[in-house]
Amino acid sequence: MSVLEARDVSIAFNGFYAVRNVDFALHEGTIHAVIGPNGAGKTTLFNLLTKFLQPTGGSVYYRGQDITGEGPAAIARRGVVRSFQISAVFQGLTVRENIELALLRRSNLQWRLVGHARRNTDLVRRADEILAQFGFDREADTAAANLSYGRKRVLELATTIAMDPDVLLLDEPMAGLGREDIDRVAELILEAAQGRTVLLVEHNMQVVSRLAERITVMVRGEVLTEGSYDEVSKRPEVIAAYTGGGH
Amino acid sequence: MTTIFGIPAALLFGQLLLGLINGAFYATLSLGLAVIFGMMNIANFAHGALYMMGAVGAWFLLDAFGVGYWTSLFLCPLLVGIVGILLERLILRRVSHLDHLYGMLLTFGLALIIQGLFRFAFGSSGLPYAIPEALSGGTNLGFMFLPHYRGWVILVALVICFATWYAIEKTRLGAYLRAATENPALVQAFGINVPAMIMFTYGAGAALAAFAGVLAAPILQVSPTMGADLLIVIFAVVVIGGLGSIKGAIVAGFSAGILEGLTKAFYPEASTTVVFVLMALVLLIWPAGLFGSKTQSASTSVVLPALANETSLMRWALFAAMALSLAVAPVFVYPAFLMKAMTYALFACAFNLMAGYGRLVSFGHAMFIGTAGYVTAYVIKGWGFPPELAILAGTASASLLGLVAGWLSTRSSGVYFAMISLALAQMIYFVALQAPFTGGEDGIQSVPRGVLFGLFDLSDPAVLYVFVLLVFLGGFLFIAALVRSPFGQILKAIREHEPRARSLGFSTEHYKLAVFVISATLSGLAGSMKVLVTQIASLTDVHWLMSGEVILMTFLGGVGTLYGPVVGAFVVVAMQNYLAALGAWVSVIHGAIFVVCILAFRRGIVGELISYVSARQARSVAAGTRADAPDVVARRLKAGA
Repeated sequence: MSVLEARDVSIAFNGFYAVRNVDFALHEGTIHAVIGPNGAGKTTLFNLLTKFLQPTGGSVYYRGQDITGEGPAAIARRGVVRSFQISAVFQGLTVRENIELALLRRSNLQWRLVGHARRNTDLVRRADEILAQFGFDREADTAAANLSYGRKRVLELATTIAMDPDVLLLDEPMAGLGREDIDRVAELILEAAQGRTVLLVEHNMQVVSRLAERITVMVRGEVLTEGSYDEVSKRPEVIAAYTGGGH
Repeated sequence: MTTIFGIPAALLFGQLLLGLINGAFYATLSLGLAVIFGMMNIANFAHGALYMMGAVGAWFLLDAFGVGYWTSLFLCPLLVGIVGILLERLILRRVSHLDHLYGMLLTFGLALIIQGLFRFAFGSSGLPYAIPEALSGGTNLGFMFLPHYRGWVILVALVICFATWYAIEKTRLGAYLRAATENPALVQAFGINVPAMIMFTYGAGAALAAFAGVLAAPILQVSPTMGADLLIVIFAVVVIGGLGSIKGAIVAGFSAGILEGLTKAFYPEASTTVVFVLMALVLLIWPAGLFGSKTQSASTSVVLPALANETSLMRWALFAAMALSLAVAPVFVYPAFLMKAMTYALFACAFNLMAGYGRLVSFGHAMFIGTAGYVTAYVIKGWGFPPELAILAGTASASLLGLVAGWLSTRSSGVYFAMISLALAQMIYFVALQAPFTGGEDGIQSVPRGVLFGLFDLSDPAVLYVFVLLVFLGGFLFIAALVRSPFGQILKAIREHEPRARSLGFSTEHYKLAVFVISATLSGLAGSMKVLVTQIASLTDVHWLMSGEVILMTFLGGVGTLYGPVVGAFVVVAMQNYLAALGAWVSVIHGAIFVVCILAFRRGIVGELISYVSARQARSVAAGTRADAPDVVARRLKAGA
């Protein structure tokens, strides 16, 4: 069953189609990667699925329900949580506060105007678990701004997991990471994927081949082909698109 | 006599012509604003002052040196343009790497200084300036009489508008300008001197404003304050057109003028508000204005100052110290001053909640304190309400206004938000000026204080003081708790990274609206209290200068700190009380403090203090031999830096 689906989705900016007539389905429990050259419309598709952009044509469905008219926050509350290409942590908050914030959203405390979140023991316990799981125990009270770039990306993943999402959308999770960090983040993604559906945009083909069970190739705003890594990587049109032939 | 819709044709055409002329000034001025905004992302508050410099300059050149109109038309823009270049080079450039709000605040301070200096030099009465001989007289067009000078103004404004549009949209220089707006670093890498380009753009914008000033000198009242109130209308025009859009500025400028003229013919009472009503309507349909593209560039956020390791004991000790010193202060200081300062402190704290923690810097907060004040005064005097109900009514009116204004403005952020809130506040100002129940220029005076809950007689100064103190402390505690609550954490997160907060499932617009309404409510409470203290509700409370003052208090004391707004409010109210004798110099001093504060100690008095203490803590920890926890030391060093 498809968890997230785009039917005939298009978006045009001043007449230029960044994504054109794309049909795309994300199946329950898979790790699915979208690849393609720069400017292929991968991140735009991401923004359309999470409604950070409103499509100019077509519809988006979550578990069969039409969510085309919903906003990003509403989509997130359904359990479709995304990350950003450029690390998106709350710089001025501590690591613990970053995690707690994600947990707050799922609690009934978010409209509490007085009193401290720390008083809620469940929330604190869960935050401790996640801090430990991602190796942040010693850095819990550090301002996120003071973390290294790699650790910020891990923190972003941690806050995303703290949301306990149904569908996880990761926009280039490895961008800007060093080799050793890439292996660790890949492990964390595999771990997080247990019992969840994951969609990722990624340029690092080693990572894609290791993580993704299914791959969609996009070129110039359209879906070129779809299949497993081995199938896709052998197709001549994919090779042509990547080597710049294309025609 | 022919009539159109029951209006004499001559009157209609006359107002239409006046509207067209006003439109010409609106378009020329908003054009300069749009160019500056497009290039620097600064809403140039000094624009009105530069326009005034053009007009007063022309008068001065004629009066002192006998320089005529035609020479002034070239000389004044040139001189003011040079002033603009110097302002950019020496002052504005220093904050160009920061959040653009700082640039806007700087221009606000500069406007206060320039206007104050000119008032000191030229007085505030009108200065006469004759129409040049070549353009005196007029022509009868059959359906109406057209004075030549007015025709000239419209013609030359149209030419200037078209030339500017052409230069920016169609020439290579314009292309560089537009490119530099989008990505200054990249354009710099092409070998183009972007800082110089920005400097000359600001100079050109200033020259354009001065040109409009000289143009206006023969037909509008020349005086040092002529730019101030016009500026707010211009802001509304620019918002209607779409911030930074040249085409939008021109179209909206002329339309606003014509609409105003027509309103004067059909329903004169609404003519001052109609532009703001139009703005509200346009924003409802197109949140970015008619031609706005709304590509707000990412701004560098300023980290809120916080003590590295503050404990709840420390927090309560600080609060107790403040409460105690305020309780004993009336023995040493004039109680009326203290009560006034406390109401303003509450106002500033409410403003800070939004500006500091929500990063929504409103330029229209006066509307809340003012509206609540009027409602409180009216229900006491007109309906005989007891004080507790009057406070409730005033505060509730501010909440309601906050809900409407917040709904309209929180969909925007940064400079957009500031300008929209300013225009909305100006709408309220004109309502207060004209509505039958506000007493117009006089306000509502000698409001009786009454008996609180039928028990406490507020006309007893001691009882009143205790009441004001308790309300202030209560409001302060509420804000302190709010900032640390889950809601406060979410606000902080939205301030840091709004898209991420949305991707976590927070409907950020609801939180922003909520904090706006809370801030409006507390400001309203301050306004109601102020009426009980001063026994008067007047126009000064709804004027945009009041909105400027609360910004000054908050930034001077320390935006984003709990105690900063309190300190700032006391300093500003003390200045008002003790410097009142200096007259026009007060606004110069205000402006100078603004400029110095933003250039030299941006974190404000309390913010700088906190940073200093944090840095010392870090140093003393580093000096100690705690070899077991080097990471703690490093962390504190970073936090203090």
